[in-house]
Amino acid sequence: MTHAVIGHSVKRTDLLDKVTGNAKYVADMPMAGLLHAKMKRCNVAHARIRRIDTSAALALPGVKAILTHENVPRVLHAGSPHPRSASVTCDQYILDDKVRYWGEGVAAVAATSEEIAARAVELIEVEYEPLPALFTVEDAAAPGAPLIHDREPGGNLVLPPVRIERGDADQGFADADFILEGVYEGGRPTPAYMEPNVLTCKWDGNGNLTVWISTQTAFMVRGIMAEVLGLPLHKVRVLVDHMGGGFGAKQDLFQSEFLCALLARETHRPVRMEYTREETFLGGRTRHPARIWLRQGFRNDGTITAREAKVVFNSGAYGSHGPGVTNVGTAAMVSLYRCENVRLEGRCVYTNSPIAGAFRGYGVVQTYYALDIQMDEAAERLGMDPAELKLRNAVREGDIAPSNHPLIGRGLEACIARGMEAVDWKARRAATRQQHGAIRRGWGVGCEMHGSSAYPGIKEQGNAIVKMNEDGTVVLLTGAAGLGTGAHTALAQIVAEELAIPFESVSVVHGDTDVVPWDIGAFASHTTYMVGRAAQMAAGEIKTQLLARAARQMEAEPDALDIADGVISVRDRQGPTMTVREAVMPRKGLPAAQFVGTATYHPTKSYSFAAHFVEVEVDTETGFITVRQVVPVHDIGKVIHPVAAAGQIEGGIQQGIGHTLYEDYQIDMGTGRSLNANFVDYKMPLAMDMPEIHTILLEAAPDPGGPFGAKGVGEDPIVAIGPAIANAVFDAIGVRFRHYPIKPEQVLQALAARRAAEARP
Amino acid sequence: MRKLIEVEINGEPRELAVEPHSTLLDALRYDAGLTGTKKGCDVGECGSCTILVDGKPMNSCLMLAPEAHGRKIVTIEGIQPHADAVHPIQEQFMRCGAAQCGFCTPGFVVAAKALLDANPNPTRDEIRFAIAGNICRCTGYTRIVEAIEQTAEDLRRHPQCHCAPETVR
Repeated sequence: MTHAVIGHSVKRTDLLDKVTGNAKYVADMPMAGLLHAKMKRCNVAHARIRRIDTSAALALPGVKAILTHENVPRVLHAGSPHPRSASVTCDQYILDDKVRYWGEGVAAVAATSEEIAARAVELIEVEYEPLPALFTVEDAAAPGAPLIHDREPGGNLVLPPVRIERGDADQGFADADFILEGVYEGGRPTPAYMEPNVLTCKWDGNGNLTVWISTQTAFMVRGIMAEVLGLPLHKVRVLVDHMGGGFGAKQDLFQSEFLCALLARETHRPVRMEYTREETFLGGRTRHPARIWLRQGFRNDGTITAREAKVVFNSGAYGSHGPGVTNVGTAAMVSLYRCENVRLEGRCVYTNSPIAGAFRGYGVVQTYYALDIQMDEAAERLGMDPAELKLRNAVREGDIAPSNHPLIGRGLEACIARGMEAVDWKARRAATRQQHGAIRRGWGVGCEMHGSSAYPGIKEQGNAIVKMNEDGTVVLLTGAAGLGTGAHTALAQIVAEELAIPFESVSVVHGDTDVVPWDIGAFASHTTYMVGRAAQMAAGEIKTQLLARAARQMEAEPDALDIADGVISVRDRQGPTMTVREAVMPRKGLPAAQFVGTATYHPTKSYSFAAHFVEVEVDTETGFITVRQVVPVHDIGKVIHPVAAAGQIEGGIQQGIGHTLYEDYQIDMGTGRSLNANFVDYKMPLAMDMPEIHTILLEAAPDPGGPFGAKGVGEDPIVAIGPAIANAVFDAIGVRFRHYPIKPEQVLQALAARRAAEARP
Repeated sequence: MRKLIEVEINGEPRELAVEPHSTLLDALRYDAGLTGTKKGCDVGECGSCTILVDGKPMNSCLMLAPEAHGRKIVTIEGIQPHADAVHPIQEQFMRCGAAQCGFCTPGFVVAAKALLDANPNPTRDEIRFAIAGNICRCTGYTRIVEAIEQTAEDLRRHPQCHCAPETVR
């Protein structure tokens, strides 16, 4: 089927303002009487606050208000407030009399300038009574370990262990010809969005609170702020226009939201709090560090007979997304490569370290790193080509997905097969066998699948309102946030396609919780799939209303009418046509039509697939690994905006290369002090580190649940790239790394250890 | 005690009363009202605050405002030729998908302008080197490099061209 608007890379509606500098982010908005707020952060990993003295700070000219745990409401709340969701952990206070990680906020100051606020923060004296600090999951989960939170289920667990069983794993292992077992570990990458966390709060004389904030989840911010501050929802208005990235982490609340609101209330002035870059590390969210023990049974023909895994995620000091990540990351291991006998266990443990939260790939980055690498190990053991082995075991139509829904289509097989052909895989792999010298090249493949939306873990829904103006132009009202993906453009394309009107005739209103329909937020590869489908349905409502009115004017039956490019005609009838504008506009004796379409979409479940083919170069003298090229092959169903979709994939690959080779946010294991909270010591891939990427988009397995068959794309690319790199490194130098990031010194150590082993008689 | 500086910003002579310890970035954002230049780190690590000072790309967070006295400054707001047109760099950034969240984009556009002013025929490696001080976390850089390469081609063909945007909100 051909489409007039979707499938074309129309000019994104947000970009003109972004390339000209006109786009207003929260910190760009001037406000009369604005005060600046700063947080005082603790310099101890676990302690009770014995005394906090703000008198010197309050005496500083320009300081208008100071909050500590002694003068803020004490309301237990969830830092990641998903409604009606399993992934809610009520373990936070705005400010507590205890601190649980180095960098936790203990006080906040509002002053007439940022400099004065920062000086006041220095003048606040805090006396701590140190408590034993636990930095590793092993220490925190040990019997008798001190408790970081006094809550169920105890033992420093964030949630009861997640257990998933299918088939009979014991029998499966008994039926195996051989068993592989390994431990895989993931470090602590951070999202490192370019716009530091920022918000401005202002109260009006009637007690209405307005919040301008950089968040992915305006309605969740509204909900939890109303709950904690004791306000009805209509008294809290959350506004989000442009925001500088989030990658999952900007779903949480970071203490600053409540503090800013309370400071604004106390001072009767608008208050802005803008994090420094260092604070985005200290008080931000990271990916969950993870340790995965994985054991699988194989037959000599490559069939997997059993799979058993124990996954432990490090939640850091608070629960945040620990429950969601543990459920999603653990459950993912039932799938990707077919296996009927599965036994999985996932745990998530509190430690006195930085808070792990939501981050693109949500637990699956960690578990598929293990699963995909072990498939590569199996191929090595079997003497088989790893791409062939993965293709043979790839999940397919009807297999039961992690969500317990049957899969639609054969997307993963299509991705692997297409990629093998595109890179001339067999010839490339054969060529890496014949290498000499210090520089070695290798090719690897990594696979993944990822659900569109968080359903059924969260009972999500997509909502949309579409209105048609009296000139035939259309307004879409959506709660979906635009964190930089081009989501609003994709939604406008879907509406234009459904109504068969030009893309330019659709505008999008978003980012105002008082105006737009409720949305859970822009995360979990949800927006195009779920909100897109709701927008399509709401546009369909308009279309029905429009055709009914046009039919009366054209003296035909509504179902005999067609619309194409904004023109309505009667099917199989020569003669006059009518534009959409003419059909809706006022005429003598006929007022303009009021067309409003509303829709709520309750999803099924949809999965996107990818296989990444990667070439690396390993310098065996320096240990340095360079990614030379990446060929990502993705099946995301119907592609709405090819350039934006490819942009998601390439950006995900950049973050995934960072995870796998460079990025690790570290703390001192004696004190919990942050060690690399800046962009020099926390090394991300820059323009000169990034390879050429040749993206291939397939439409092999469109999902009937998504708009025009579209599925999610945001998270997929960050999952497949990691194991692809690790597998390519093995192909290059024959050393198997089962952790990330893989650092040059580790490459050198591994090569030295191998030489030493070979030298032994 | 504020200090009066005279500076040419985007072709216009301006007098700004700045704190002597203020960065040029803060002076541009808060005293001159030009918020297109972004603060991503404030310590010279991310390049989001890149501006041209006498034609050279600089991190405006690493300059004190008084140092700008008597200099010519171009910010992102000065790249757009006039309200109804965009610079070819801006056009190609939109077309190629070189901007996503957009927060780093002003810095990249300015860095690209500095490169193409100095070197109208850059290789891909030269483009990557020219933007090595600018961090983007969204795009993977591929499309940024492509946009700059395409712009160089546009400028070679139509050195005076200011493409009108096809789509305006």
